[in-house]
Amino acid sequence: MKTKLLIFLFALPLFVFSQNKVEKLHQTQALNCKTCHSCDIPTKENPCIKPCPRERLITIEQTPSDAPSILTIDKMKKTSDIYAPVVFSHRLHAEMADMGGGCRMCHHYNPPGEVVGCADCHELTRKRTDLSKPDLKGAYHQQCMNCHRQWSGKVECESCHAQNGSAKKTESKPKTDLAAKQVHQKVNPPELVKYDTPKANGKIVSFNHTDHVSTFSIDCEKCHSNESCNKCHAKYKPASLANRSVADKHVICANCHNTKANCSDCHKNSVVGSFNHKTRTGFDIAKNHAKLTCNRCHVEKGKFAGLKADCSICHGTWTKENFKHLITGLQLDETHADFECTDCHQDKNYANPTCKNCHEDKTYPKDKPGKLVKKSK
Amino acid sequence: MENHKPTPIEKKYFTPVVIGLAVIALNGMLFLLARFIFGIGAVTNLDNQHPWGIWIGVDVAAGVALAAGGFTTAALGHIMHKDQYHAIIRPALLTAALGYTFVAVSVMIDLGRPYFIWHPLLMWNGSSVLFEVGICVMIYLTVLYIEFLPIITERFIGRVNLPGFLKKFNQSTDKLLRVLDKGLEKTMFIFIIAGVVLSCLHQSSLGTLMVIAGPKMHPLWQTPILPLLFLLSAISVGFPMVIMESLITSRSFNLKPETNILSDLGSMVAPLLGIYLAFKVGDMVIRQTFVYLTEISTASVMFTLEMVLGIVIPLRIFLSRSLSKTPLGLFIASILVVLGVLMNRINNFLVAYTPPYEIHSYFPSFGEISVTLGFVALEVLFFRFFVIQLPIVSVPDTTAPQTKFSIRG
Amino acid sequence: MAKQSRRDFLKTSAIIGSAAAGLSSSTKAAPKNVLSEDRMGVLVDTTVCIGCRKCEWACKTAHNLATDPIETYEDRTVFKEQRRPNDKALTVVNEYPNTTSDKFPINVKVQCMHCDKPACVSACIVGAFSKNENGSVIWDGDKCIGCRYCMVACPFQIPAFEFEEALKPDIKKCDFCIERTSKDKLPACVEMCPVEAITYGRREDLLKVAKDRIKNYPHRYVNRIFGEHEVGGTSWLYLSSRQFEEIAFPKLGNDPAPGVSEAIQHGIFAYFVPPVALYALLGGVMWLNKNKKNHETDTEN
Repeated sequence: MKTKLLIFLFALPLFVFSQNKVEKLHQTQALNCKTCHSCDIPTKENPCIKPCPRERLITIEQTPSDAPSILTIDKMKKTSDIYAPVVFSHRLHAEMADMGGGCRMCHHYNPPGEVVGCADCHELTRKRTDLSKPDLKGAYHQQCMNCHRQWSGKVECESCHAQNGSAKKTESKPKTDLAAKQVHQKVNPPELVKYDTPKANGKIVSFNHTDHVSTFSIDCEKCHSNESCNKCHAKYKPASLANRSVADKHVICANCHNTKANCSDCHKNSVVGSFNHKTRTGFDIAKNHAKLTCNRCHVEKGKFAGLKADCSICHGTWTKENFKHLITGLQLDETHADFECTDCHQDKNYANPTCKNCHEDKTYPKDKPGKLVKKSK
Repeated sequence: MENHKPTPIEKKYFTPVVIGLAVIALNGMLFLLARFIFGIGAVTNLDNQHPWGIWIGVDVAAGVALAAGGFTTAALGHIMHKDQYHAIIRPALLTAALGYTFVAVSVMIDLGRPYFIWHPLLMWNGSSVLFEVGICVMIYLTVLYIEFLPIITERFIGRVNLPGFLKKFNQSTDKLLRVLDKGLEKTMFIFIIAGVVLSCLHQSSLGTLMVIAGPKMHPLWQTPILPLLFLLSAISVGFPMVIMESLITSRSFNLKPETNILSDLGSMVAPLLGIYLAFKVGDMVIRQTFVYLTEISTASVMFTLEMVLGIVIPLRIFLSRSLSKTPLGLFIASILVVLGVLMNRINNFLVAYTPPYEIHSYFPSFGEISVTLGFVALEVLFFRFFVIQLPIVSVPDTTAPQTKFSIRG
Repeated sequence: MAKQSRRDFLKTSAIIGSAAAGLSSSTKAAPKNVLSEDRMGVLVDTTVCIGCRKCEWACKTAHNLATDPIETYEDRTVFKEQRRPNDKALTVVNEYPNTTSDKFPINVKVQCMHCDKPACVSACIVGAFSKNENGSVIWDGDKCIGCRYCMVACPFQIPAFEFEEALKPDIKKCDFCIERTSKDKLPACVEMCPVEAITYGRREDLLKVAKDRIKNYPHRYVNRIFGEHEVGGTSWLYLSSRQFEEIAFPKLGNDPAPGVSEAIQHGIFAYFVPPVALYALLGGVMWLNKNKKNHETDTEN
């Protein structure tokens, strides 16, 4: 009894601390315990980790250049095999995957540390007790065929394998060289895509790619997940948009936009240029707010209206004590520096000061209450 | 009762009709030969979608049903002891024995490996309906032969005359026949009752046979009471078959039809047919399968034909006092019942059978039809042969004038 | 017949009765077909299958059936028509259009389902079919008489007959590679499948795997495992993205494949009571009628 208690006392802090450490690491990710663990209280001895839940886990992204350029997949090779091992242009595929989900597209279980290879989890032998995940051969083929089927619509073995004992076997050497050199060219993202829609009123939807990437800083993979090569390399024309249902057409936009209402927000009668906060809302963000992400001001997700150019919503009430006017590029002279802000700025947006309260003959910006200096932060 | 005694009928065997039948039989045998040289697939239209054709549906299933005259008359004559019908028992027995023999032969030729037909005797599968049918038919066939033996002993005791060197066995054969005769006389009741029981068993089990096909069978026919329907229809068709045969035989041998006995027999058909009809309609109403009759399809047409031509019309004729007293009325009604049951068996085994992956429907090939017709022809030929050779048909005492010849049954 | 005493009658009836009783006890003995808890099965995931038909080649090769070279199996024009397993191919793959993505047609491998309560086993006149401990339903060529009742009974229309064979035709169907599995090898098709669309394992484990897949990818699968309950359960189990009836699976209930036929059969033959009772009844009727007749003739005389 005593010893048990002792052990317990010693073990308790260990247990608690290890838990804490894990939590810290996991807390940065929005993860649910049940995503990875099958039991309620996982312990170090029995972590009861689920076999590859294939959900978004902690994952590391590496650049394609970190990856090996070619791999010869010969782990399953047997002398009796009909087909020769595949020479896999890994880097090329990594570059292609970059346009989709990155490494994760294939390395679906990819925790921090060294990248987990296929053979690390998938067993070599098909006759096995754990049937929850396919064996290595099955895993490779499932992974490859998923894209290749879409790409060519064909499943013939010889598009990847040489047949053993056939003349094609000799080609495997040059194929290695070729695979090593292959790279995917840099993809130039479009600036603006114009969609002609069948909508009677508001035929044109202008999709400004640059805006979405740089102005709104949306991650590529938020839209481009599970992208197929066909998107660009249309060997077979992808199913035309016209054939898809309304919901299908809007599926990606609907991630952020409310596509069920306010059609006219996107469906216009002419092409719309890139997003300009000033022309769109009347509030010029170019001057002082250019570097902020949208959600610094538009805090509520998906809601953009209602700020009404009221500085106090974000900044609180400005007084002559807490606001250094110098920051605007105009250093107030001594007289004006003593006034309360509202003496001149009567609008909530502090944009156009009025001089009428004191001077009858002066107007801004012709006359200035100080001297212009170079803007500072 | 008058002194009626079954006697061999002294007529010559060959007539133009007999020769015609022989040609049909020969044609069938040629195709049969082809089956054993080139395989079942070469002669029949059977395939993996339709494993059973008319060789089973007609030759076996309908064959068994139409040989039901044997056990129904046995039940009537021996078990119920209605002595006035004794005269029709022997022809019915001969029909049954011949019928079942040809059922067995038909099964043999339809089997992929006929030489293994004895397997069910040793390799039992208690849950198999076919096993039960097979065993019952085998035993019943034996019983039928045993029941038939007294006719042989009666004909040959004291008249054994073997040809050639076999002559020296004449005496011992005679002795054997006498022993058989004596033994059989004491035990015959066992076989008669056994025959009826076995018939009830396999006639009904023949219906159970298709129950296992489940959803492959059209709902108009697929019902858990199939065995009961098969038994009822077999009992109903027994007497009409005997009536029809008797009328044809008397016509063929130029005898006066015994209308009185036959119409008495016919009067018993109406209630049997009525019960069969009631169960058939009741089953249809309870399972609400009549909805399938609202559409025009092979199934609905065949079902309607089977019901109207095979049950309703003959039932009406048998119920009519005037019509059921005339040979023509009896003949038409009987032949309709026989055709009705034949159609019912074809429907159950072939028309109703629609496998889930059916590319084309089944229709028997020329070869299949040839073999089936050939067997029917052979059966008639054998019947005629035995009637001429053995004491089957009852005629009044030989002292009676030739014109008074009549047959019973 | 006519001069028979009542004692004779009873004596012979008794002999028949006891013979029948003996018969019934021997049919009850020797339960050959077993349903082991550890029986094996195969899970076919039709959403993974790519229709390469290598399983067809492997099957033919393993069963010494004539086959074209493996390259010819890449010809996808065979999918234009629906094919069925037959005596020359024990398994075939069919293709059905995918309504959501034309690049991923649905391919379905077809072979014997190896039912847990097989209709063929129940039907076979000589018991040539048996459900084995490893889950397989096996045909015994030494017993078969070629009656083809198994083909009538099978709800999946699987057993095929060598109709071209004149004297020794076989019934051909998937035998779960019993020869290979008894040597601790995988069934040929399972071993061959490049994408492991077919997984071999304990049926129980496979059900668990299948349920996990449905739970993890609810959009990928319809929430049903074909073969879990159909016709009383089958050793081969299927997952699909479309309703199974739409990809040519037969519409079947959950009652065991032999259906009510066994119940009827065992009802009619319940320990041979009904037949013996009928025999006794008929005997009684016969005896009564005979006595009546004798009585009548006695009084007449």
